[in-house]
Amino acid sequence: MAYSKGNSHSDILSGFGQGLPLDQEDLVDENTILVQRTLRSGQSIRYNGNVVVLGDINPGAEISATGNVIVMGALRGVVHAGAGGDEKAVVLAFRLQPTQLRISNHITRPPDNESLDADHPEMARIRDGVVTIEVFQTGLNERVSANK
Amino acid sequence: MGEVFVVTSGKGGVGKTTTTANIGAGLASVGKKVVLVDADIGLRNLDVVLGLENRIVFDIVDVTSGNCRLRQALIKDKRLDGLHLLPAAQTKDKSAVNPDQMRTLCAELKKDFDYVVIDCPAGIEQGFRNAIAGADKAIVVTTPEVSAVRDADRIIGLLEAAELRDPKLIINRIRPKMVRQGDMMSIEDIIDILAVDLIGVIPEDEMIVITTNRGEPVVLDQSSRSGQAYRNINQRIMGEEVPMMNLEEEGFFKKLRKIIGLK
Repeated sequence: MAYSKGNSHSDILSGFGQGLPLDQEDLVDENTILVQRTLRSGQSIRYNGNVVVLGDINPGAEISATGNVIVMGALRGVVHAGAGGDEKAVVLAFRLQPTQLRISNHITRPPDNESLDADHPEMARIRDGVVTIEVFQTGLNERVSANK
Repeated sequence: MGEVFVVTSGKGGVGKTTTTANIGAGLASVGKKVVLVDADIGLRNLDVVLGLENRIVFDIVDVTSGNCRLRQALIKDKRLDGLHLLPAAQTKDKSAVNPDQMRTLCAELKKDFDYVVIDCPAGIEQGFRNAIAGADKAIVVTTPEVSAVRDADRIIGLLEAAELRDPKLIINRIRPKMVRQGDMMSIEDIIDILAVDLIGVIPEDEMIVITTNRGEPVVLDQSSRSGQAYRNINQRIMGEEVPMMNLEEEGFFKKLRKIIGLK
């Protein structure tokens, strides 16, 4: 399904100024929205479903989704996955460095005096009632390590 | 019953947020109960300067619109027990709060805290009117530049119109050497124009940049000159008489003695 660029989804995205009326059909696909831009400070997305971002989430920007959040870039802002209470929701980012990370009704933030900036994709999800961050393991990773 | 101060300037970038953070941290470090209110909705910075950005869950707009209770939105500082922050919203704009809501909020905060310090946004529009609505006293920050002084003058006029009389003046980022050479406005020049009480002068200091980026107010750094300047201001806010700091830079011999370890 085609994704319309520009300001055509102003009722979902805020902080982008006035936009044109929304044509839901154009951007909703199986309840997932694709955002093809970097979210800057003050911009936010609230969406009933999954959110995929082709860009970064800068500090001061916010994403809140009832489903999963996937960021094909650096996630440095605030993110809330499973905002409707879904404990199975995950947050995945190429660089997971959020200011604050919320899943369902859990709220976490990175420790104060540590900077462990991983240079590989990571995924956050709830395991045994705590938000855990793990390396995002793909088949590709295994093949690369097997070749070594 | 506490006092509500608003830190304002008109012009941007003169040090309102830094001043707010340092007054708050300084007063809290001597045992006062302080709450800092970030009124710069949409361009919030105070949380970043204090290193508390990652603790924000609710903000001032959530409080004024009734989404949460005031206590839920207050963030306790990680170093100082008496220091609290009410953060601004980042994804809303200045019209999300109105002056009446600010008055109610300040009245509420005054009950529980010795000092309420409001960080005002730059400009003279709605954000400014919100920030000053609940204030009892005003602190005007300026730098020794004609543009900043002009804006401070405008602000003092607007404060008087809003019944906030006798604002106190902070002159920030002064360079004594440039003043001596006649390249920068002197303290006297500025007071001559603005005709308000001076509550402190802060020398230009690299430590401000370093501490701000670290999220630690400079007032807690005992060795820096700007930290000392802020400590003096805080004592004056608490009603003590403190002589103005000697801004002259140390002479060659004093510097030399410091280098070889003689104090």
